[in-house]
Amino acid sequence: MAIISVSHLSKQYKTYQKEPGFFGSIKSLVARKYQTIQAVKDVSFDITEGELIGFIGPNGAGKTTTLKMLSGLLYPSSGKVQVLGYTPFERKKQFLKQISLVMGQKNQLWWDLPPMETFLLNKEIYEVSQEQFDQTLRDLVELLDIADILKVQVRKLSLGQRMKCELVAALLHNPKVLFLDEPTIGLDVVMQKKLREFIKAYNEKYKATIILTSHYMGDVEALCKRVIIINHGTILFDGLLSHLVKKFAPYKLISVVFRETPDQKKIEKLEGEIKEFQSGQLLLRVSQAKANETIANLLKSFSIADITIEDPDIEDIIRDVFVKANE
Amino acid sequence: MKKYFLIAKSAWDEIVIYRLNFSLWRIRQIFLLLTSYFLWLAVLPPKTMLGGYSQAMILTYILGGAVISSLIFSNRSFQIGDDIESGDLSNYLLRPLNYFRYYFAKDIGDKLMNACFAAVEITILFLILKPPFVLQNNAVFLLFFFCSVFFAIILNFFINLFVSLMAFWIDEVWPLRFLLTILLTFFAGGLFPLNLLPSSLFSVFQLLPVTYLLYFPMKIYLGQVTAVALFWGFATTILWIFILERSCQFVWKKGMKVYSASGR
Repeated sequence: MAIISVSHLSKQYKTYQKEPGFFGSIKSLVARKYQTIQAVKDVSFDITEGELIGFIGPNGAGKTTTLKMLSGLLYPSSGKVQVLGYTPFERKKQFLKQISLVMGQKNQLWWDLPPMETFLLNKEIYEVSQEQFDQTLRDLVELLDIADILKVQVRKLSLGQRMKCELVAALLHNPKVLFLDEPTIGLDVVMQKKLREFIKAYNEKYKATIILTSHYMGDVEALCKRVIIINHGTILFDGLLSHLVKKFAPYKLISVVFRETPDQKKIEKLEGEIKEFQSGQLLLRVSQAKANETIANLLKSFSIADITIEDPDIEDIIRDVFVKANE
Repeated sequence: MKKYFLIAKSAWDEIVIYRLNFSLWRIRQIFLLLTSYFLWLAVLPPKTMLGGYSQAMILTYILGGAVISSLIFSNRSFQIGDDIESGDLSNYLLRPLNYFRYYFAKDIGDKLMNACFAAVEITILFLILKPPFVLQNNAVFLLFFFCSVFFAIILNFFINLFVSLMAFWIDEVWPLRFLLTILLTFFAGGLFPLNLLPSSLFSVFQLLPVTYLLYFPMKIYLGQVTAVALFWGFATTILWIFILERSCQFVWKKGMKVYSASGR
């Protein structure tokens, strides 16, 4: 059964433009030029219980707008959204008690007060039992290593510390559906890794359905089997991460270190595309079908010190996808 | 219930953190009070009457009005405009929480803090100035007085809320709120009793909500209302609360559809 089902979802914004400078201001006061921005265009997908989905796209692709519609913040211009059987925009109490949206950029924590105050308020708002509250809080505090900052004013915390507290505030009620928008923003590498592990564990432990957006492909690679790639408000790809590689990058990268620098002409005769060739090192891009043949050929014809075969970087593939889409 | 207590408490905590801000605000209130106090002291010498008020009555009106206005007018709803403009509103929308009630709870916290300070300040002023003062000892008038203050608090909440919700359509809502504050300072009757206005103007005012924020409660305290006036006063207040509450709900629904959750 689909926990989240989205069909033909679209969202337009109306904004006005202002020319720079004083006269621009006067002009926009009298005659405003409005512009309609199509943030999301006819998007459809289904997500089943317990899935951990990566939502990928460049800045302004419509990721956050989609998440906002899924969590009931934005009113869709057209199309249908169902989350846990509810229409998000109605913001029914039972719906809100089962979801959470964490944004890397903004906080729900009371800015002037220590994070603990917000945790206690959320306990009351979400009607969490004392027992569950204590347990969850203990787990989260230990995992994220924030015991020493619970009583420090939020405004005095660093971005990373704040992000951790945000996450705690968002998870105290054990949401079934979790929307994470750039959760690792501003965190150091160690913390990023810890947070990924945490998200994964949360997903498994509570069978929680999670949608994650991130600029760090590392996050997505480590966590998500399925990805949805979105650009200019439309879905470019929806499927398994492994299929993405097959579909958009059906090639292997072969890097070779020669014992002695071979003849340029001999190299050029090889199958595939030469990405780099200098000082006895070669980087070759070969289609998956021809990879084995090419390697055999290389080993036979040249004296080779080292050879490695790699799949292309997910990051590179996705960059290629976007570049192609923009052309 | 406990959540509303926590929310109200957060307003106190914020006041404690921004204590300089709060102190300056209180000083402003004291200056305003002293200005109108000394003005009326000069205008109305003892044993003269103006529009049915003796000096003691008018000074009671001004001083008493200062105490209840801390209770009625102090609020946190200026933050609503910021919430909408900055997109922080999303934080409230995502939680199973009624936004109006959230701010009402916050207002109550703010009011209690302000009222405590106002009570202390005015006691001190009393001891220094020793003004003539009318003490109301009729329990019926006192009961109606407290009721009218309670309704005035609700009325003021919805007036402020309505103006603040305009932030869905206007990028900067503070000029509007500034205008509202000035209008309320003048027309709610904090500086002078409204029935000193020309009678035709005053009869128009009696149909407007502003009259019931400060003037009406103080008139009841002074015992200068008839049973009929009491009835119509409360009826008008409740009608306005109803109209404003409906309007706020309507504007909120419309606003949610244009809300862009910006900045997030």
